[in-house]
Amino acid sequence: MSNDILFLAEFTGGSPARSALELATGAAELASQSGGSAVALAYGPGAADGAAALGAHGATRAIVLGDDDRPAIAYAAAVVSAARDGGLALLAPATPNGRDVAAVLVGTLDLPAFGPVRAARFSEGTIETEQATLQGSVITTSCPVDGAATPSVVLVLANTFTPNEGGSGSAEVSQAPAAEDLAFTQVTVAESHEADAKVVNLEEATIIVAGGRGVASEDGFGPLRELASALGGAVGASRAAADAGWIPYQLQIGQTGKVVKPSLYIGAGISGAIQHRVGMQTAEHVVAINKDPDAPIGEFADLFVVGDLFQIIPALTDEIRRRKGT
Amino acid sequence: MKIVVCIKQVPATGADKRYADDLRLDRAGVEAIINPLDEYAIEQALRLVDDGSVESVTYLSMGPEQASEALRRALAMGGDDAVLVTDPALAGADEWGTAKVLAAALDKLAPDVALMGMASDDARGSLVPGAVAAMRNLPLLSYGAELNVADGAARVRRLSATGYDWLSAPLPLVATVTDQVGEPRYASLKGIMAAKRKPMQTWSLSDIGLSADDLHGAALTRVTDTRAPEEKPPTERIENLPAAEAATKIADWLTTRKLI
Ligand SMILES: Cc1cc2nc3c(=O)[nH]c(=O)nc-3n(C[C@H](O)[C@H](O)[C@H](O)COP(=O)(O)OP(=O)(O)OC[C@H]3O[C@@H](n4cnc5c(N)ncnc54)[C@H](O)[C@@H]3O)c2cc1C
Repeated sequence: MSNDILFLAEFTGGSPARSALELATGAAELASQSGGSAVALAYGPGAADGAAALGAHGATRAIVLGDDDRPAIAYAAAVVSAARDGGLALLAPATPNGRDVAAVLVGTLDLPAFGPVRAARFSEGTIETEQATLQGSVITTSCPVDGAATPSVVLVLANTFTPNEGGSGSAEVSQAPAAEDLAFTQVTVAESHEADAKVVNLEEATIIVAGGRGVASEDGFGPLRELASALGGAVGASRAAADAGWIPYQLQIGQTGKVVKPSLYIGAGISGAIQHRVGMQTAEHVVAINKDPDAPIGEFADLFVVGDLFQIIPALTDEIRRRKGT
Repeated sequence: MKIVVCIKQVPATGADKRYADDLRLDRAGVEAIINPLDEYAIEQALRLVDDGSVESVTYLSMGPEQASEALRRALAMGGDDAVLVTDPALAGADEWGTAKVLAAALDKLAPDVALMGMASDDARGSLVPGAVAAMRNLPLLSYGAELNVADGAARVRRLSATGYDWLSAPLPLVATVTDQVGEPRYASLKGIMAAKRKPMQTWSLSDIGLSADDLHGAALTRVTDTRAPEEKPPTERIENLPAAEAATKIADWLTTRKLI
């Protein structure tokens, strides 16, 4: 059994997802504690050419599982083969794709699973993870039971680790062992569609301006987009706004939308329902703009601005542009 | 065509929950409901019955005796029968332990589609469906905004980061659906009455060919500590100011934190 830390490195459209860079850095951090190396399991379009560059973010080695545009789950069989070869822990992004692959590992190899975690470390050779549970009111620490198999599977929220930049290392690239013949390879993409409106991947955004029912219409999102662009961020939404058809579902934040962990979340016209909260409560800074002084979001925001979003947001956009000189 | 919908009884959303001294969730005295996201799986299954592509719907739950209430409530929405797997050895099961039990029960029920909600309200790994699929070596179609079955295969419409895909795999398989499949139907009074007469079986571990030893205490993980989160500074408020002044204050706040 090696002391290596494996991580899933997903590639899309020719380049690594931000999660791949974050996990490279996270895996390197854990590997320095466990006395092993950070090893990327790279898959998806661009993985073959791009895997070596993960070295700049912390990966010592990279195993290329495949370069095709297949559903992530179709790579699960190859991940299983790689994980059989050893490793103390395997980090997976807490995204739908990451969870699918992690779940297959847990079920195929009977591995302990943790997460989504907000921190992980090694203590006397054993992984120890921290999770926020019960709507963030409790932090639990967990570890594998004695004698549990390895690698431990750890789901990691976006922005838990900050990717190392400016490194120049190159990961030593190898090809994957032959994938086992598991049923998951039978999942295929029958059709693929782009959303009508262009949407960004919210999980990767570090600044998010989110709008809810209070935004009142599709056009109401205009001022939010302006603010997001002044801040260099992206626009998100509550389910109420997505249900109303004002914004695509890909931008919904919450229990059944994206779980985000930006450095700044600004919520406008959002009441702060529990299902929304679980998708954004780990943001580093939460600003809420709401005309109801008693809105629940005011109870957990860092800064609560009571007022009409249609007056405050344009004024804030102007002020930010003025300060940035743009 | 036969569907088994796996459901979990959970504490009501927003109920006051806490960890007991044994580091397990204290469920005593908390109202219990069907995991809200499982109701969408029920709704999806019943819609497939309505449109004639599925003949029967069975509900499966692992949990304490009281979880039979959740199964009755599901039967009141529609469907044919239910199975509760309950055993003292299952207290404190983690996602792996839960998957192990559901997989064994599903082997016995042998549905074309084992359908589940996309996540449970009280645990956030969303790993059970995929682990069940892996244990049974079946394909997984997850996070469907819509599910259909035809010609020996199932398809789900799944949102991607920037659009959506239709994913397809041959039956039998495991699938999960999201809250986009449509609002769950209410149980009618007639449904509630009918549910009382629908068959419900209770299985122990040995009924599904497992022993407590196979399950290592039903968990591969353990909670070693619980604590309160770091104290956050109290919420700062900006109120009763004209928009321009409020904007200046917000910008100051952001600047102090190096966010601009
Ligand atoms: C199973 C399930 C899953 C769910 N998943 C999600 C999820 O993933 N994400 C999610 O967001 N929700 C989810 N929900 C829905 C959630 O319960 C709430 O209904 C939803 O989040 C409410 O959205 P909202 O805050 O935009 O709307 P509301 O609760 O209606 O709040 C609107 C707010 O806007 C304020 N407002 C109105 N006008 C203005 C103005 N001009 N200026 C400033 N403020 C104004 C009001 O004071 C109010 O506080 C889920 C629900 C269920 C049952």
